[in-house]
Amino acid sequence: MNDTCVGIGLRQPHYAELLNAPPPLGFVEVHSENFFADGGAALAVLHRAREHYPVSLHGVGLALGSAAGLDPWHLDRLARLVDGIEPVRVSDHACFARAALPGGVVHANDLLPIAFTDASLALMVRHVTQVQERLGRAMLVENLSSYVSFTDAAMSEPEFFAQLCRRSGCGMLLDVNNLMVNALNAGASDPVASCCAFVDALPTGIVGEIHVAGYCETGDVVIDDHGSRVRPEVWAVCAHALRRHGSVPVLVEWDTDVPALDVLLGEAAHAAGMHG
Amino acid sequence: MDEAQRQQALLRALSGAGIDAAGLREHGARAARGLEAYRANAEEIADRALAAAFATVRAMVGPDDFKRLARGFWHAHPPRRGDLGEWGDTFPDWLHAHAGLAAWPYLADCARLDLALHRSERATDATLDAASLALLESTDPVRLHLQLVPGTALLRSAWPVVGIHRAHQLEGVAADQAFAAVRAAIAAQLGDDALVVREGWRAVAHPLTDIEARWTHSLLTGANLDAALAAAGTPFDFSAWLQTAIRRQWLKGVVAADD
Repeated sequence: MNDTCVGIGLRQPHYAELLNAPPPLGFVEVHSENFFADGGAALAVLHRAREHYPVSLHGVGLALGSAAGLDPWHLDRLARLVDGIEPVRVSDHACFARAALPGGVVHANDLLPIAFTDASLALMVRHVTQVQERLGRAMLVENLSSYVSFTDAAMSEPEFFAQLCRRSGCGMLLDVNNLMVNALNAGASDPVASCCAFVDALPTGIVGEIHVAGYCETGDVVIDDHGSRVRPEVWAVCAHALRRHGSVPVLVEWDTDVPALDVLLGEAAHAAGMHG
Repeated sequence: MDEAQRQQALLRALSGAGIDAAGLREHGARAARGLEAYRANAEEIADRALAAAFATVRAMVGPDDFKRLARGFWHAHPPRRGDLGEWGDTFPDWLHAHAGLAAWPYLADCARLDLALHRSERATDATLDAASLALLESTDPVRLHLQLVPGTALLRSAWPVVGIHRAHQLEGVAADQAFAAVRAAIAAQLGDDALVVREGWRAVAHPLTDIEARWTHSLLTGANLDAALAAAGTPFDFSAWLQTAIRRQWLKGVVAADD
């Protein structure tokens, strides 16, 4: 792997620095929903960035696992953005956020966990297919860090993703930091081994991108806050995943307490150096 | 339990309802910690999303009270869409009805101005169709319509909302003077008619005279040039306004209605 396979998030504090003297990067990533407006400065910045880099559109709001269904407005906005930006990849999460409550459908704007049941899998397959047909391209679906889970489960999470990818034709966006957060919150005796077991349980050929990030320990719970350097144990799982699933693109995520660009580029260089 | 019931139960649990119905694997303190992680995130994103749209309101009430307001609004009017830039249309009305804010009767209108600025900055980009200006020389004003750039709005308030908005963007002596002027305007019950319009990437609020407000209202409601001039009345100086509108990028173009 080299730096053409590594990307960073394009975040507001770095707009000017990154675009005035674009460093060598494989791609930049943005959260799709932040560019759903009809116009404005942010969208203009994204179009400028697209002149320098491939762009990965990473969504946080499609709510692919919602029993309430997809929001047609959201899908329309995403399709418009995809048409305008021509991203290198489009992705979102295996989560729900929309639910019909008294008063109407609410969107929690969070990545809420889904149950790994047959019914949930059928929902996900239907919605991912709907998105892919609308966009005319395959998408990637990311595994979550989740702070609660459900007793109902017909299959393991890797099996869920294997079936989702096989039945819908999507790929998987493997977030190895999320694996670590889940392992730590589950009290795994050997978190790295637990994460590597998850990675090994995935069929080869389905992983299209890997995410790494930092997490924080609050004492009670480990939070996937994307607010610090990638931990050594997460890099170790990333290396394992690259060995098993090939030199797929790696994104360094840093969304809170965003550091100086040089710090982020240093993390990206670390990722780029993992395969020499 | 089907998936819809499961998801509804989790959302209700996050709103403070019991967690038993959600069918969680975790129990007791561990379940509570997990749910609290989601609640904390919801509070954070509610605060961040509303702060981006309602900067003046946040500056007026302070960050701590604003965060409490954002949390209350999140529960009273939860987002319906996955783009939080679209959330908050009902925030001004909610502030107006908030019993704890009765001592701030101008807060809701300040929020309306913030919201208009926020919408303007998200509106479709537009540049002046300079060639269309030739229609002003060649076409009967009854057939002409002046188009302002998308996102342009007129806000009419009984409070000096433009002065309040501007004062919160100043510092030091300039801020002191601006706030003194605002207090005097509030005491004298002097309101503002405000033009909200994109100038480049930034939306700006301009106070309008009564004549300018009538003129702007006419343009925004689709009146033809002849009718808009009549509504503005004298001594409205169309040439001066046009020069300003072109220089400050308010104008998208001139169109002629079909016969």
